[in-house]
Amino acid sequence: MKALLAILKREFLAYFFSPLAYVVLTAFLFINGYVFYAILLSLNSPETSRQELMALFFKNVFYWIFMMLVSSIVAMRLIAEERKSGSIEALLTAPVGEGTVVTGKFLGGFTFFIFLWLPTVLYPVALSRYGRIDFGPIASGYLGIALFGALFLAAGTFASSLTKNQIIAAIVSFVMILAIFLAGIFRELVTDPNLKEALSYLNLIEHMDDFARGIVDTRRIVYVLSTVVFFLLLSARALKGNKGK
Amino acid sequence: MLEVEALRKSFYGTVAVDDVSFRVESGEILGFLGPNGAGKTTTMRMITGFLEPGSGKVTVDGIDAAARPKEARARIGYLPETLALYPEMRVREYVKFRAELCGVPRKMTKSRVDDALATCFVDDVAMKPIGNLSKGYRQRVGLAAALVHGPKVLVLDEPTVGLDPRQIVKVRELIRDLRKDHTILLSTHILPEVELVCDRVVIIDRGKIVATGTPETLRHQLTQAPGLAVGLKGEIPEADGILRQLPGVVHASRMGVGGETRVLLEADRGSDLRESVFRECVARGWTVLELSSRQATLEDVFVRLLAARDAEGAEKADDLPAAVEEGESRGEAR
Repeated sequence: MKALLAILKREFLAYFFSPLAYVVLTAFLFINGYVFYAILLSLNSPETSRQELMALFFKNVFYWIFMMLVSSIVAMRLIAEERKSGSIEALLTAPVGEGTVVTGKFLGGFTFFIFLWLPTVLYPVALSRYGRIDFGPIASGYLGIALFGALFLAAGTFASSLTKNQIIAAIVSFVMILAIFLAGIFRELVTDPNLKEALSYLNLIEHMDDFARGIVDTRRIVYVLSTVVFFLLLSARALKGNKGK
Repeated sequence: MLEVEALRKSFYGTVAVDDVSFRVESGEILGFLGPNGAGKTTTMRMITGFLEPGSGKVTVDGIDAAARPKEARARIGYLPETLALYPEMRVREYVKFRAELCGVPRKMTKSRVDDALATCFVDDVAMKPIGNLSKGYRQRVGLAAALVHGPKVLVLDEPTVGLDPRQIVKVRELIRDLRKDHTILLSTHILPEVELVCDRVVIIDRGKIVATGTPETLRHQLTQAPGLAVGLKGEIPEADGILRQLPGVVHASRMGVGGETRVLLEADRGSDLRESVFRECVARGWTVLELSSRQATLEDVFVRLLAARDAEGAEKADDLPAAVEEGESRGEAR
């Protein structure tokens, strides 16, 4: 547990020593700020029907693009960087299991991911000064962000464990995340009703719609958490596999 | 303390380590000597658990490393050859990170970190980022990180490689100091280092152990008795021919250098040539300028061993001494 926290802390702090973190952080705030502003503008026009602003903020197309892209970039360095530099040797010869290493790194990346989103909490706070805001759906919206962030980052961690090259890790992770994301959309293409139903469980857009409306469905949480565990097991397995080489 | 039995490893069909067995006793410094690409790093990686052995067994302080890997690793401090530390971390921060990683109890962390920093003489740079340090400092930071959790066994892979002569002396002193509390396995391709630092030597070449023993016994067993260098005044072309006739001489070679003649003699084991050589020279009316015995160095042992193996493998050994000094480019398998 102490080893896990040590790794988590190191991974989280390491982001702030790389220019990448600041580029991501700036781009993230810029685009999110712009999206927020755009939604605000369109809701202000009289033709638009009455909708919750933050709900739109949590499920627009930029949200998904950003989630997928940012997760890939945040996760790409987690293991690949250490494999490239060779520092992984000192890490894996410490008396900690591969599972701890992978989980610590994943949680470090996840903490940074949450850190990226923190400033956006100001949006609903700012809105609440001009009108009544229901904070319930907003909280569940952020829960959705945390869950899908974890899901994508776990996939990214796995991709990062496969290579020494961070760019390759980012590309592989983006493709995996896209595949996970698209699995639900394939529902529209199949005719078999059983398969259709199975795929609808994987529909992340629908999941996020629920969260944005304030519906917290434990099935969604179980789906995400079990997938996270699955990817972390794969990553640990990949690290172990390298020992044979 | 550390026992390695019949360790084997191959990479994609190429055998890197072949049936390597040795023991390091408590409090001993064992030198693991061999040219680059001999399998030193691969063996050490199997001991420290970075690589899984193809077959064979590693026992650390009585613990089977395959059955209880974490406990075995907790007893080992490892300084990898590719000394990759996290450049953005400060020295103190990194050593503390290693302490936490290796399960040093919270209460003891501070004192352990302070001790490790002081032992390795890096307390003066404790607050500097590792990336800004010189290679010598980084090596010692790596060492501090390797011993912060108080391991019984230290595995040091080429600890002095890439350092300047002053730093090398410092690191060697440090290693000798560490023997008080640790059993040390140290790899190197530098022969004098072994003679200076190690109690016992294992020589490895192309994955196989070719010799084991103390530096003295190896030198004794594997070379002829000490040779003799004779310096004579004037140019005497027949000097080597005459001296070779003396009883006990197995080989003589001559060099003429600017009005002087130098003859190098190799004696049979156990025979002392000094007196007979001196009398012979006096009888011939030669002026003896120098008479000194040459002790065979480990370098000679090494070259001889490898040459013998090469002769078996029908390969020429002419370039081996150079390969030993400059490092062959075969590269260790990773």
